[in-house]
Amino acid sequence: MDERKCWFVTTGFLSKSCLICLVIHLCVPAAAIMSSVLQKLITPLASSSAEPPRNKVLMFELIPFVYCGQDLCDELALVDVMEDRLKGEMMDLQHGLLFLKTSKVVADKDYAVTANSRLVVLTAGVRQQEGESRLNLVQRNVNVFKSIVPQIVKYSPNCSILVVSNPVDVLTYVTWKLSGLPKHRVIGSGTNLDSARFRYLMAERLGIHASSFNGWVLGEHGDTSGVNLQKLNPEIGTDADKEQWKATHKAVVDRNVFVLVVFQDMYGIGEDVFLSLPCVLNGSGVASVVNMTLTDGEVAQLRKSADTLWGIQKDLKDL
Amino acid sequence: DLCDELALVDVMEDKLKGEAMDLQHGALFLKTHKIVADKDYSVTANSKVVVVTAGARQQEGESRLNLVQRNVNIFKFIIPNIVKYSPNCILLVVSNPVDILTYVAWKLSGFPRHRVIGSGTNLDSARFRHLMGEKFHLHPSSCHGWIIGEHGDSSVAVWSGVNIAGVSLQNLNPNMGADGDSENWKDMHKKVVDGAYEVIKLKGYTSWAIGMSVADLVESIIKNLHKVHPVSTLIQGMHGVKDEVFLSIPCVLGNSGLTDVVHMTLKPEEEKQLVKSAETLWGVQKELTL
Repeated sequence: MDERKCWFVTTGFLSKSCLICLVIHLCVPAAAIMSSVLQKLITPLASSSAEPPRNKVLMFELIPFVYCGQDLCDELALVDVMEDRLKGEMMDLQHGLLFLKTSKVVADKDYAVTANSRLVVLTAGVRQQEGESRLNLVQRNVNVFKSIVPQIVKYSPNCSILVVSNPVDVLTYVTWKLSGLPKHRVIGSGTNLDSARFRYLMAERLGIHASSFNGWVLGEHGDTSGVNLQKLNPEIGTDADKEQWKATHKAVVDRNVFVLVVFQDMYGIGEDVFLSLPCVLNGSGVASVVNMTLTDGEVAQLRKSADTLWGIQKDLKDL
Repeated sequence: DLCDELALVDVMEDKLKGEAMDLQHGALFLKTHKIVADKDYSVTANSKVVVVTAGARQQEGESRLNLVQRNVNIFKFIIPNIVKYSPNCILLVVSNPVDILTYVAWKLSGFPRHRVIGSGTNLDSARFRHLMGEKFHLHPSSCHGWIIGEHGDSSVAVWSGVNIAGVSLQNLNPNMGADGDSENWKDMHKKVVDGAYEVIKLKGYTSWAIGMSVADLVESIIKNLHKVHPVSTLIQGMHGVKDEVFLSIPCVLGNSGLTDVVHMTLKPEEEKQLVKSAETLWGVQKELTL
C-alpha cells in the first residue's frame, strides 16, 4: 500500500468536480446516502496497483525507540516467534504512527511479511548471560541463525544485513556464509558502539560533545582486544597530521564514515574473519574501507584478534 | 533531541544507573549534552518540564481508576520533591488514572493551572487517527478527529469534528457513531478505548505509542509551538461541568505551559457525557486524602 497524503487539490477542474460530488449527494435519495463515505470522499486518479516500499526495514526484537525518532524507513517489518508479544509491539507502534513518517508497520511469525526489505537489522539470538564471554554465545546463536538467515534472503534477495547480535564479529561471518550475499552487503555493528562509548568517556573528561572528539576503537568487539587499539586525534589542532590522517579526518567530518565490521584481507590476515575498520557506508552497503596507518603493535593486536576469532569459526558446524 | 539535559529519577538504584549509562553511551548520536540520574531529587534542579510516569501500572484487565489510591500515595512523596528543586517547571502527568492524578499533582504542587497538564487523550486521539488512516489509506496526520474527556473507558468521540481536508464525514454519513451506523464508527472508538487493554494483554504494558505521544507534547512546550492538543486540564465551568475535575479538551501548548483552551461546539449528548465523566471522577476524588 503506497503512502498517500491528503492535500487540497488546487487545480480548477478537480475542485469543481469535488464540489459537484457534494452537491449531487444532497439531491440523492436516502438509500444512496448510506453508501460508503470513502467512495463519496475520495476519487482515485493514479492506477491502484500498490507500489512496493522503497526503504523497508526488517527488525527482530525491538530497538525502534531510537529508530522511531528518525523516520528512517517507509515500512517497518517485525518478526518474532512469540506471537502475542509481537502483535502487542506492532499495535503499540501503530498507535504512534501519527507521530512518525513511516507509513506502515507489519509483523508476523511468517517471513512473508518481510518481502522486499532493503535493510535487515539482525538482533535476534540468545542473550549474553551475566559474566558470559561473548565467544561462548557463538554455537547457540549459529543454530538460531540457521533458521533465520535463509528465510530473510528468500524474501529479500537484494537486502543488506546489519548484524548486531553478539559475538558480532563471528556472527557477521556466519551470516555472510549462510546468506551467500556479497560481502559489502553483510555488515556487523562491530566497534561502532565501543568507539561511541570511548568517545563519550573521553568527551566527558574534556567537557565537550562526543562528536567533537575523534577516537577510534578497532578490531574485535569484545574481550580479547583487552587493550583496544586507539588513535587519539582531537579535531582542534591538526599541525602534526600525517597524510593518512587527513583522509580519515575529512571522512569523519563528512559524517559518512563509521567503524564497522568488514571482511578483512589486509594487515597480513589470511583467514576469513570480520573485524572492525573504518568503512564508508552508502545505499548499497559498504562502499569502501579507509586505510589506516597502524603501528606494528596495533597490527599485531589485530592479527591476534583474528587468530582468536578464526579459532572459533573453524570449529563451527553446519555452515 | 528535545532537551539539553535529561534527568532521571527512580527508587530502583541499579536499574536507574543501568538505564542512565545505556543512554549516555549513545551520547555521540544525540544532541542532549548531559544525562544525569539519581535517587536524590537534587539532580532534577532547574528542570523546565517534568514528566511524571511514576506509579503502579495497569495489570491485565484492570481499569485505570483502580490504580488511584496507590498512585496518590506515591505522588505525595514525588510532587513536593519536584517542586522543591524546580519551582518554575511545567508538570506533565502521565501516570494513570491521568485525569485524577493531574488533579492530585495540581493540588499537591500549588502550581497555577497552566503549569499542570495531563497527557490525557492525546494518545487516544492518535490511536483514533491511526485507525481512520487505515480505513481511508491515508496518513494519520491527514485524518482529523478529536477524542476528549476521560482518558479511559468514558472518553468522548466528537463525531461532528471528524474530517478529511475539512470535509465533515458526519455530513456524508449522518448516522456516524450512532447505533444504526452501517459503517460502524462506534466500533472504531471502542477499539481506541480497548487499545491499551489489548496491548497490555499481548505484551504486558504499553510503551512506544505513549512515549511518542508524550514527546509530541514536550516538543510543543519546549519549542513554544502553540499547537493544539487534547490534554487534561481543569474543566470546571466549561461544557456544563461543575466539579473541580481535570478532563481532556483541545488546549494550546507553548513554553509557558497550557496557555489557552479551545471551545468545541459540542452536541448536547456529548456535553452530557463529559458531565457524567466529571461526576464519576469527582466521586473518586472527593474520597482522597491529600
